[in-house]
Amino acid sequence: MYALIVFLPLVGSILAGLLSLNNQDRPAELVTVTGLLLSLLLSVIAFAEVAIGGTPVTVDIGRWIVSGDFAAQWALRFDTMTAVMLIVVTGVSSMVHIYSVGYMSHDNARARFMSYLSLFTFAMLMLVTADNLVQLFFGWEGVGVASYLLIGFWYKKESAHTAAMKAFVVNRVGDFGFALGILAVYVLFDSVQFDVIFAQSSLIATTNIEFLGQSLPALEVAGILLFIGAMGKSAQLGLHTWLPDAMEGPTPVSALIHAATMVTAGVFMVCRLSPMLEYAPFALDVITIVGAMTAIFAATVGLTQFDIKRVIAYSTCSQLGYMFFAAGVSAYPAAMFHLTTHAFFKALLFLGAGSVIHALSDEQDLRNMGGIWRKIPVTYAMMWIGSLALAGFPFFAGYYSKDMILEAAYAAHSGVGNFAFVMGCLAAFLTAFYSWRLLILAFHGKPRASADVMAHVHESPLVMTFPLLVLAIGAIFSGWLGYELFVGHHWQQFWGDSIFILPTNAALENAHHVPTWVKLLPIGLAASGVAIAVLCYAVFTGLSAKIAALFWPIHLFFFNKWYFDELYDAIFVKPAVRLGHFFWLRGDRDTIDGFGPDGVSALVYRISGACSRIQTGFVFHYAFAMLIGVVVLVSWYVLRFKG
Amino acid sequence: MAFELADILPALPEIILSAVALVLVLVAAYGGDGAANARRVAHLTLAGIVLAAIALLSMTSAQSTAFGGMFRADAFADYMKLLVLMGSFAAVFMSVTPLERDDINKPEFSLLVILALVGMMLMISANDLMSLYMAVELQSLPLYVVAAMRTNSLRSSEAGLKYFLLGALSSGMLLYGASLVYGFAGTTSFAGIAAAVSETDLPAGFIIGMVFMITGIAFKVSAAPFHMWTPDVYEGSPSPVTALFAIAPKVAAIALMLRLTYGAFGSIALEWSQVIMALSVASIVVGALGAIMQKDIKRMMAYSSIAHMGYALAGLAAGTHEGAFGVMIYMTSYVFMGAGTFAIILLMRRDGQSATRIADLRGLSKTQPLFALGLMVMMFSMAGIPPLAGFFGKWYVFLAAVNAGLVPLAVIGVVMSVVGAFYYLRIIKIMYFEDSEAPLDQDVPLANKLVLGVSMAVILLFFAGLNSIMDAANTATMALMAPF
Amino acid sequence: MIEALFFYLFAGVMLASSVMVVVSRNPVYSVLFLILAFFNAAGLFVLIGAEFLAMLLVVVYVGAVAVLFLFVVMMLDINFAEMRAGFQKYLPLGLIVGGILVFELVVAMYGDAFGGKTAPVVSEIANTTRLGGVLYTKYAFLFQLAGLILLVAMIGAISLTLRKRAGVRRQIIAEQNARRPADVLEVIKVPSGKAPAAANTGKAEE
Repeated sequence: MYALIVFLPLVGSILAGLLSLNNQDRPAELVTVTGLLLSLLLSVIAFAEVAIGGTPVTVDIGRWIVSGDFAAQWALRFDTMTAVMLIVVTGVSSMVHIYSVGYMSHDNARARFMSYLSLFTFAMLMLVTADNLVQLFFGWEGVGVASYLLIGFWYKKESAHTAAMKAFVVNRVGDFGFALGILAVYVLFDSVQFDVIFAQSSLIATTNIEFLGQSLPALEVAGILLFIGAMGKSAQLGLHTWLPDAMEGPTPVSALIHAATMVTAGVFMVCRLSPMLEYAPFALDVITIVGAMTAIFAATVGLTQFDIKRVIAYSTCSQLGYMFFAAGVSAYPAAMFHLTTHAFFKALLFLGAGSVIHALSDEQDLRNMGGIWRKIPVTYAMMWIGSLALAGFPFFAGYYSKDMILEAAYAAHSGVGNFAFVMGCLAAFLTAFYSWRLLILAFHGKPRASADVMAHVHESPLVMTFPLLVLAIGAIFSGWLGYELFVGHHWQQFWGDSIFILPTNAALENAHHVPTWVKLLPIGLAASGVAIAVLCYAVFTGLSAKIAALFWPIHLFFFNKWYFDELYDAIFVKPAVRLGHFFWLRGDRDTIDGFGPDGVSALVYRISGACSRIQTGFVFHYAFAMLIGVVVLVSWYVLRFKG
Repeated sequence: MAFELADILPALPEIILSAVALVLVLVAAYGGDGAANARRVAHLTLAGIVLAAIALLSMTSAQSTAFGGMFRADAFADYMKLLVLMGSFAAVFMSVTPLERDDINKPEFSLLVILALVGMMLMISANDLMSLYMAVELQSLPLYVVAAMRTNSLRSSEAGLKYFLLGALSSGMLLYGASLVYGFAGTTSFAGIAAAVSETDLPAGFIIGMVFMITGIAFKVSAAPFHMWTPDVYEGSPSPVTALFAIAPKVAAIALMLRLTYGAFGSIALEWSQVIMALSVASIVVGALGAIMQKDIKRMMAYSSIAHMGYALAGLAAGTHEGAFGVMIYMTSYVFMGAGTFAIILLMRRDGQSATRIADLRGLSKTQPLFALGLMVMMFSMAGIPPLAGFFGKWYVFLAAVNAGLVPLAVIGVVMSVVGAFYYLRIIKIMYFEDSEAPLDQDVPLANKLVLGVSMAVILLFFAGLNSIMDAANTATMALMAPF
Repeated sequence: MIEALFFYLFAGVMLASSVMVVVSRNPVYSVLFLILAFFNAAGLFVLIGAEFLAMLLVVVYVGAVAVLFLFVVMMLDINFAEMRAGFQKYLPLGLIVGGILVFELVVAMYGDAFGGKTAPVVSEIANTTRLGGVLYTKYAFLFQLAGLILLVAMIGAISLTLRKRAGVRRQIIAEQNARRPADVLEVIKVPSGKAPAAANTGKAEE
C-alpha cells in the first residue's frame, strides 16, 4: 500500500504522457488528479500509522545495483520524517494539480503539463522515501529533470528555455558536490545505506582523510560536500541564481517546485543526515552561516524587485535560509517544522499570485497592478492570510515555526548561532516589509493597469480558489496543530529515530527557555516592518522612491541582486564560453577534424586519385606492373634465402 | 592401360557438361540464326548446369581421384563446384534478355560459358600441374572471347584484347613457375610435390617457382598488383559478361589457389603465406581506395571485387584450417552478393541503352523501390554490416588472420573495410537521397527478379542457415587439408 | 663433348636470335629471327633425345605459326616507328626489371640447379612410339582437355570474326548442288537478224 503512494503519480504521469500524444487533455487531467488525490489519501493514512502510531516501515522493491562490495537497493523508507514530507508533497502537489486545471485552461498542451507535474511528484516522493544515498540521488536528479522540463514548459519563449537551462546547469554544480559527497560517504562507510551510515557515524567521526597533502576530518568533508548538493537544490547563497529565473515557468510550477517541495529537498537531506552531521560540527557551522547569509541576502533583494513572482521567489530563498540555519544549530525538528508550514503558506502565496496574474491577463509587474482588491476578494483574502503567515504574525503558521527557529538560534549560545539570530531577526523585519509592499502595490492604490486589462479583471473559478482555501487552512492552522508534535518537549517521541541530536547540542530544548524579549522581538520587528511598508506605499506614496534615490548605491546593489549574475557571468560563464569556443575552433575543428575525419578523408581521396591515375589503360603499363610485382616478390625470397 | 568406370566417374559433372557443350555446338551451328536459337542454346545450357549440379549432389563426397590421379574429387571440390555452378547459372540465366536487348544474341555466348564452366570445375579439382594448367587455359580462353563479344564496340574489343594479352602473360608466368616446381620436385602431381619438399629441405628455385605460380593464379583472382586488367575489362565488356566475370571465375581461381597452397605446397605454409599476405594487403588497399573515385558502377564493382579477393586472401594467408574455412564462407557470401548486385546492374538501362553510371541510380528508391531495397541489402552486405552474409565472411576471415598472428593484416583489413563502406553507402545515398533526372527503364526481365530475390533471401537469412553452411564448409576444409 | 659443343651452339644462337627478334628494326627480320630461334630450340630437343618434339616444333611453329606471322606483318599497316619510340621510352625500366629478375634467378638457382634431380631416362623405344603409347591412355584426360581448348579457340575465332553483312554473296554448296538446269536455264529463241539485246534485258529485269 505504501508503495502505491510513490507509484500512483508515476502511473498518472505515464498515462497522461500517452494521452498527450493525442492531445486528450481532459482525460489526462482526470487521471493525474485522481492519482494524486489517492496518493494524498494514502499519505494521510501513512502519516497516522507511521508518525502518530510510531511504526516506521521499510518496503523493499528490488535490487538495483550490485557490483563487488557495492550494493544499492530499491527500498522505500517510511519513518516520521518521510511521513511528514509525504503529507507536504502529496498535499501541495494535489492542490497544485487541481489549480493547474483552471490555470492552464487556455494552454493547448495541458496533458503534457499534467504529465510533467505528476512525474515531478513521483521523483520527489522517490527522494523523500529513499533508503540510501544513491536512491536519494535518483530522486534528486529526477526532480531536477522534471524541474527543467517544467521551467522550460513554454519552450518557445526564449527566456523560459534559458531559465530552464540555467536551473539545470547551476544544479549540476551542486549535484557534483552531492555526488562527491556520496563517494566520500561510500569510501568512509563502505555503504550508502542510511542505517549503516547512521550506526557508524560516531565511530568514523575521528577518521581523517588525505586530500592534496592536507589531512582533513573525513566526516566534515563528506558533510560539506553533501551540503553543497543541498545548496544547489535549495538555492542557497552562491547557488541561488537559478531560482528567480525559474519563475519563467507556469505559476503552479513555481508553487509546487520552487516553493513547497523541490527546493526543500536540501533541507530534508540535511535533516535526514542528522545522525551523521551531528558528528561534523564544522559542517554544521558552515550550514548555519550559509543559511543565515541567504536569509538576509534574499530578503534585501526581495525589497526591490517588481516582478510579483520574483519577490515571492526571493522570499522563498530567504525562508530556506531560515531552515538551514535551524538545521545548522541542530534544531532539525524546527527546520522540518518550518519546512512544513512554509510549504503551505508559500504555495498559497504563489497560487494567489498566480490568481492575480490570471486576473490581470498575465501581467506580472507590480508597477502595473493596484486597485483590484474589490474585484478579486477571495484572492485578496488568501494573499493576506499567506502574508500574515509569512511575516509570522501570532497564531498563523509562520509564527510558530519561525519564532521557534529564531529562539533555537539564540539558544544555541554560540557565535554562529548569535550571528544567525541577528540575521534572522533582520530578515524577519524585511520579510514583513516586502510582504506588505507586495500586498499594497498589487491590490491597493489607483489601478495602474490599462483600462482594457482592468475591464477583464475577474475572480478565478472555483477550481482555482478551492486549492487556495485548502492551503489557507494549512497556512492558518498547521503551526498551531504541529507545534507540540514537531518541536514540543516530547519531539523525540514524535520523530523517533529519524532525527538524532547529540545531547550536547541542546538548542532546541533550550529554545523553550529563552528570555521573553527574544520571544517578542520577531513579532515586534514584523509589526514595524508592516507599519513602515504601509507608511511608504499606502500613506506617503512618494516616500519609497525618495528613499531609494537617497540610498541609491544600496538600492542599486539590492535591485541588481548583489550582482551575483554579473559576477558569475564574468568569472565562469564568459571564460567557459571562450574556452569552449577555443576548443571548438582550434581543438575540434582544426586539430581533431583537421587531422582526423577531414584529414583522413582528404588523404583517402588523394590516394584514390593516385590509384585511378595509375590505371592508364595501356596494356604495357599493366604488364609492367605485373612484372614489377613478380620481381618484388621474388626479390623478397631471394633476399631471405641467399641474403 | 584402360580406364575403369570408377576411374572417370568422379568427373561425371564435368563429363556431363562437356557432352552438353558438344551437343550445343551442333545446336548452335544448325539451329538457325537469330535470337530464338541463342535463347534455345542458353536454356539448354541452363539445363546442362542443373544436370551437372544434380550429378554433383548425388555423388558421394568421399575423397577420390580420377584419370590417374590428375583429378581429385572431394567435399571441398563439391562445395566450390556448387558455388561455381550456382554463380554461372545465375549469370547465364539473367543474361538472356539483356543480351537480346543489346543485340549480341549469339548462341556462342552460352556455349563458351559452359566450356569455361568445365574449365573452372576442372581447376577446382586440379591435382596435377598439368591438369592445373590445362584447366586454367580452358577457363580463360572462352572468357577472353566473351569479353570481346560485342564486336561492333571498340571498348568491348579492347577489353577482350587486353584481357587476352595480360592473360597470356600470366599464363606464361604460371607455366614458368610450374616448370621450376616440376624441375625441383621431379614430379607434376600435387601429392608428389608435397612429399618432395619440406621447410628444412627447400631449394630456392622451388620457392621462386612457387612465387611465379601464385602470381599466375593471382592474375585470375585479380589480386593487386595483377589486378589492372579488371576495371578495364569489367567496364568494357557487355554487362552480362561482366556479371559472369564477377561471380564464377573468382570462386574457381580462389579454389585453385587453395588447392595449390594447401595441397601441393601444404608442407611449406610459412613460405607462401607471405606472398599471399602481400597480395592480400595490396588488394585490400587498392580495391578500397580505387573504388572511391569511380563513376561507373561496373568499374566500381571491379575494384570492389579486387578488395573482396583481398579479404579472401587474408583468410588464405593464415594458412590454417580456420583460414580456409573463412575463405569458403567468404566466397559463399561473395557469390550471392555478386549475383544480386549484377541482377540490378543488368537492369540499369535507359531508353533501351545500358546506363551504368553510378549517377544513373539517382532516385531509384522512388521509381523502383524494390530494386533499390535489393541493392541496398547487397551494398550493406558488401560493406560487412551484420547480420548480413558479408559480415560473416569478413568475420571468419579476420578471425583466422588474428588467430594466426597476422594482426597487422587484420587491422589493415578492418580499416580499409571502413573506407570500403564509404563507397557502398554512397550508392545507397544516391538511390535514396538524390532525385533522378530520368527514371531507368521499368521493363525488367523475370530472371533478374528471381536472381535478385534468391540472393536477397540468402543474404538476409544467412545467419539463420549459418550452422549448416558452416558444417559444409568445415567438412570441405577437412577434405582440402586431408593427406593425399 | 660434342654434345656439349652443340648444346652451347644451339643455345647461344637461340638466345642471340631471340634478342634480335626484339631489337631488329624491320618486323620481317624479327619474324625470320623467330624462325631461327625455333630451329635452334628444335636442335636442343634433338640433343636430349626428344626428336618427335623437335619435328613438331619445326612443323607447327616454323611451318604454320611463323608463316602466319609473316603474313600478318606484311599485310597489316603498322607504324613501327611509333611503336619503337614507346619501346625506347620503356627500355631502361624494362632492362632494369628484367636484369634484376635474371640476376635473382641465377643467384637463386646457381649451384643447386634442380637439386641434383636427374632428367627422366630416355628409353630405347623411339619417343614417337612412347608418346603414342601414353597420349591416349595415361594422358587421355589432358588430351581431351586440349581438344576442348582447341574447340574453344575455333568457336572463339569464328564468333569474333564472322559477321553477317548485308549484300554479301555467299557460296552455299548444298543449294548449288540442288539446282537443276530447268530452274536456272531458259532457252530463248533468237530470231536471226534481230538484236538479242531486248530479250537479254527483259530477262535481267525478271
